[in-house]
This record gives sequence, structure tokens and C-alpha cells, in this order.
Amino acid sequence: MENQINLPFNPKSPTVMHLDLNSCFATIEQQANPKIRGKPVAVAAYTTSAGCIVAPSIEAKKLGIKVGMRVKDGKMICPKLIILPPDPWKYRNIHIAFRKLLADYTDNATPKSIDEFVLNLEGYPAFKKGMTSVAKEIKDRIKKEIGEWISISVGISTNRFLAKTAAGLNKPDGLDIIDKNNYRNIYKNLSLTDLCGIKTRNAARLNNMGIFSVLEFYKTSVHKLKTAFRSILGYYWYLRLHGWEIDDVEFARHSYGNSFALPKPLTAFEELAPILQKLTEKTGIRMRRAGFWAKGVHIAIIYHDWGFWHKGTSLSNFVFDSRDIYKAAFRILNMSPYRKPVRNLAVSVFNLEKIAHIQLTLIDDLAKKQRLVSALDRINEKWGNFVITPGKMIGTNDVVIDRVAFGGVKELEEIVIN
Amino acid sequence: MMIQKISAPVSVNLIFDHQTRQAFPKYVSWEGQVYQINKIGLHHTYRTGKTLIHVFSVESSTLFFRLVLNTDTLHWTLEEISDGESD
Repeated sequence: MENQINLPFNPKSPTVMHLDLNSCFATIEQQANPKIRGKPVAVAAYTTSAGCIVAPSIEAKKLGIKVGMRVKDGKMICPKLIILPPDPWKYRNIHIAFRKLLADYTDNATPKSIDEFVLNLEGYPAFKKGMTSVAKEIKDRIKKEIGEWISISVGISTNRFLAKTAAGLNKPDGLDIIDKNNYRNIYKNLSLTDLCGIKTRNAARLNNMGIFSVLEFYKTSVHKLKTAFRSILGYYWYLRLHGWEIDDVEFARHSYGNSFALPKPLTAFEELAPILQKLTEKTGIRMRRAGFWAKGVHIAIIYHDWGFWHKGTSLSNFVFDSRDIYKAAFRILNMSPYRKPVRNLAVSVFNLEKIAHIQLTLIDDLAKKQRLVSALDRINEKWGNFVITPGKMIGTNDVVIDRVAFGGVKELEEIVIN
Repeated sequence: MMIQKISAPVSVNLIFDHQTRQAFPKYVSWEGQVYQINKIGLHHTYRTGKTLIHVFSVESSTLFFRLVLNTDTLHWTLEEISDGESD
């Protein structure tokens, strides 16, 4: 059917707003410490010279300092670069303040990550003020109520994809609209790889079909795009570029996981075991807090030479106890054919289910075990995580430190500050 | 001096203004010196177990302070100072 589709650009008034907190972590650090405002600042996973920069400030970006650079490379560009470690609770507090502020305009506000939100004002009283007025009001209120140093870029359009594209047009502190009146002019000034989701490989696919600009991409038929992407994705791209919504889908949680970048590469299993234990404890607590049991465990390892190995195993029964997750994870770790220094270790659980009734077994007293685990969870909840831990975790106090996930926002479901 | 991590008990005057309904540290007394707080950069909270911790990131005319209030003990800790320069 969609082969014959010939849609115009969505003619309705834009109701979708994308908000992007500029240089999030670094800006929040500058908000907290007025003495580093206006200076090049970078938040790095580790402040040592090999540490990875995760967020340069606007001033640092202007000097050419980018996400992913090593601290030493950043310092080479700017010797006066101020390096700070991440402070996750600062960022989570600001995120929650944003959520509360946005709730005054619509309950259709979705966090896309720690520093990105999407609102849809369709049918809400705030829409009558006008989308641009609401955007300006939100910008003002952020300065007054959250922090005067914090700025956001806002994009407005008829769908989420184009609202995000608009938010990226003028950073920092931008406010742009893409609608039926101006989309051609905007598309004319964008290259294919400026579009979120189109990188080298997708650009090459489009180039193979003779599509070299965003305007050509827009004008291409559904049939041709489906051939280019060899899937339904071509149709989705057609809808996105024509301003029709295709991305307002929230996916259910399929897994819980924790990963850790080791400050120094470790090879021996006895050195990796305590870290694995702590990762499985963290994963287990989060999974149980959400009421899930898991029937699969997965391990992923990045080695010092950037080699990668991963393996997942389905278990015969659902598990909830971190010790069972650890046993499965340790078995998988032993299956790795490599004995090389490990740079990054990740554990996740999958095949999640909310189990209402326990399947009794002959060997284990599962009900007793469940009572024990939930008692331990309650103690850890009251007195702080890892007050009671397995013996294997002794000496891991300072490893696997608190981090904020960059891409997704699933962990933010778990944050509650009262 | 740049940023210096500290973990020292500190004396703090906290003011509560009932009209603006805001609480903020006004003076910090540390190592024999009293610093007047001119600006609150950020106030945030987190929990360690059930204990609610308040963190005030503030500046005097010369220094930045990270002041931490444990709401169980009502004790203040100075966790960080900085003059805003790089190391």
C-alpha cells in the first residue's frame, strides 16, 4: 500500500517540542561553582590523564575539545582546561527539577535521556499560548527556577524527529521551528549525516540510490527508500522527513545491566571476580526493586587491545537472587577464550518477568531464599547500598562507582528523591 | 590551588527566610576564618540509605565551597574548596 503513498509535508501546526540541555554535565558543574563559569571545563570519567572526557563545556567545545577525547589530549589543546569527575546526583536533581517544571505544561512529557525531553502540547491549554511563547517561557523559568547558567536548545515541529533536528540547528540556547512553511529551506542547509540516525553506512546506502542531499532524500518515493534501506525503515524515513509521527513509541524494559570501565586493566579471574560480584549485586537490586525475575544472563567484555567478546545464556529457571546471577555470570566469564587484560566489564540480565507465584523445587527452599534476599534488600535500602554484601566483594568499596547513563533514560525510572 | 577535596567538619550559619521560603548558608567558619557566602550555585539532595543529605555548592568572594548537611546528625562537612583555577 505504502508504495503508492504520496504525502505532502504534514500541514498541521507543530505541537511537538524537543528540549536539549546544552553541554549538560559541564554546564551543571558551572552552575554549582560560579568560579568556573565562562571557563573551559570538562567532566571526565576519570580525572587522570588517560581518563575519557564525557562532557566538555560550551567554552571547551569552542576550543575544539570533544566528547571521547582523553584528558591529556584536552589539556594539550587547552592547558588551563578544568577537569572534574562526574557527580551523578547533581545531574539527577537537575533532571528531576526539569521534569517538575515541564509537568506544568503537559503530562505528555517524555525524558529521552538525562538531558533531553520531548513534549507534546496537542490538546493542552498551554498550546493556546503559542509554541514559541511556551518555549521562551520555559527558557526563562529554567534560568529563574533551576539555574541562571543553564541554557537549553529548543526545537519545535510536527514530529519528534524533526523537533530534535530543529533543536540541533542553533546550539547553544537555540529556538527553531521546522514546519510546512520552512522545511525546504532548512533541508537545503543540512547534509545527510546531520540527520540523527544517518551516519556513514546509511549515507552510503542513500548515495547508492543517487540521493546526496536531504532535499533529495525528502523527494524520494517510498518505494525507492525501501529499496535503499532494504526494509520498512525506508517508509519510516519517508514519514519522518514529511513531518508525520513514527517515533512516539516507548519500548518496555527488556533487560537490566551494569558495566564498569576498569581504572587499570585486569586479567586474572580472581581480580575480576569481585568486580563481577559488585556488578551483579547492583543489577540484582535494581531488577528486584522493579519486581522482576530473570531467566537469562549476559556478559560483555572489552579488552585492553579493544577486542570484544560477549556471551548470553538462558537459564533453566527464573532467578532473583544476585548470588544466582553471579554464578551464571561467572560461568560465562570462564567461557571466554581470551586471557587478556580487561578494559570494560558489563553484566546484564534478560528474559524478565514479574513472577506472582513461586514454582516450588525439591532442592532449594525458594520461599525462604526470597524472604532472606528481600530482608537484605531492605537493610541495604535503609542503611545504604552494600552495607551487607557477599564476602567476595570485600575491598571493592571504591570500584564500580556511581554513574549516569548517557544514552537511555531507563535508570531514571528508578530515581526517587523525597 | 584549583579544586581540593576535603572531608572536614565545618561551622555553618544557615538562614531560613520564611517569606521566600528558602534556606541557605550565610557564613562558613573554617580554619579560623569566617567566609561570607555571596552566592548559592546549586542546592541538591541525595540519600545514603534512609539518610537525606543536602549539598550546598556556594561561593564567597575568594573561594568556592561544597557544604554537606547530614539531616540525621545535623552535622556539616566541608567536602571541597576551589578558587576556580585549573591545576
